[in-house]
Amino acid sequence: MPETPSWLASAEAVLNRNIAASSEAKALARRLENTSLQVNVDGFTRVRAECLGGRLGLLAADESPADAVISGSPPALMQMFKAAVPSAQSRSSVQIRGDAEIANLYRELFAAARPDLEEELSRWVGDLPARHLSQLALSVRTWARRARRTAGENIAEYLQEEGRDLVNKTEMEEFLRGVDGIREGVDRVEARLKGLEQRAASSPRAKGT
Amino acid sequence: MADTEPTVDFGFEKVAAADKAGRVRAVFESVAGKYDVMNDLMSLGAHRLWKRFTLSLTGLRPGQHALDVAGGTGDLAAGLLRQVGKTGRVVLSDVNPAMLDIGRDRLLDAGYVGNVECIVADAENLPFEDNSFDCVTIGFGLRNVTDKLKALQSMHRVLKVGGQLLVLEFSTPRAPGLKPIYDAYSFKVLPFLGELVAKDRDSYRYLAESIRMHPDQESLLAMLKQAGFIQARYHNLTGGIVAVHRGYKY
Repeated sequence: MPETPSWLASAEAVLNRNIAASSEAKALARRLENTSLQVNVDGFTRVRAECLGGRLGLLAADESPADAVISGSPPALMQMFKAAVPSAQSRSSVQIRGDAEIANLYRELFAAARPDLEEELSRWVGDLPARHLSQLALSVRTWARRARRTAGENIAEYLQEEGRDLVNKTEMEEFLRGVDGIREGVDRVEARLKGLEQRAASSPRAKGT
Repeated sequence: MADTEPTVDFGFEKVAAADKAGRVRAVFESVAGKYDVMNDLMSLGAHRLWKRFTLSLTGLRPGQHALDVAGGTGDLAAGLLRQVGKTGRVVLSDVNPAMLDIGRDRLLDAGYVGNVECIVADAENLPFEDNSFDCVTIGFGLRNVTDKLKALQSMHRVLKVGGQLLVLEFSTPRAPGLKPIYDAYSFKVLPFLGELVAKDRDSYRYLAESIRMHPDQESLLAMLKQAGFIQARYHNLTGGIVAVHRGYKY
């Protein structure tokens, strides 16, 4: 059997702690007794999850068959496992083979046992520093989102107004209206020409009589 | 030594199986006083992280029972006591009374009284009833045991169904390029430090030799499975210098 990475052991310990603390997760672990799921994280690793004795085991996957196999990219799998109800988009970007019900129950188990980052942090640094750190992380995330949005707006404004490399929305709409006007004009001229052609074709002179 | 008498490794030396326990005891009696200082010095403090990682895997909850085999000066036992709380119980066992004395004093000094017992016990024949503990740990002790499989079976016996064994032990470096550096450190620096700090070069040469003679990750994993452990696996730490092997009893 290949080595099971230490981070997987830590993840297993956290998930099992949360399973023990949640009646919903405990019931799911009991339903999944003696079953296994293989998770193939594209280009990264393969993990085997097993439920035994009401406890979840995460091991490096070997060649032994699993009841269900889920494959996908890390973001797609993350999205799928953390959501209580997976979105159609996350479902379409992962592949499920084998017993789909077992795969879905494992997904529910992972979602039910999902760790609270502040709670986990508090185990290492204490409650108060963990609260401060999580608030700091939240502020940083909010700031980063705002900064990204503002930077995008500023760059767009520069390219449109200062550099004139891009057109702004009003000019674009005006241009598109103009294009529509020309298209309608051309359509009218085309219809007119067709009408004239038909009239010319049906006139007695054109028939040569 | 009679020709038919079974022999075992004592470092790079072959000794009669019956003699190994006594020689190991002599080594640890010699180093007991400086054991903790030497651990910090030799591992540059990394042994604390290795033990912390091991403790993070126990899954123990308040009120549960744990056994630390070959627990020596009680580092793991102290962590186990924090996890099981006042309503739980921890047994610190070691075959060496000198090491156990230091462990008991340290636990007392740290305020652990009432829910901890210190017992002189041989890992191969643990003096506990079947299905007694939720978790059994053995940190840097298994390589000194004469019959490792027998010790693992003994630990399996005393575990409750659903209980977990954690074996923290030196292993075989797997990180590329680490082995020559590690060998040089083990055979040149460690005995020198032993001489300098503990005034005992031979004991620290034995330490380096016993690590080399200890089964590698895969061999120890096979022994765990042979002893009856389920979901057995291992985690390499510091490039495989140390590995945590674990398995459950079901």
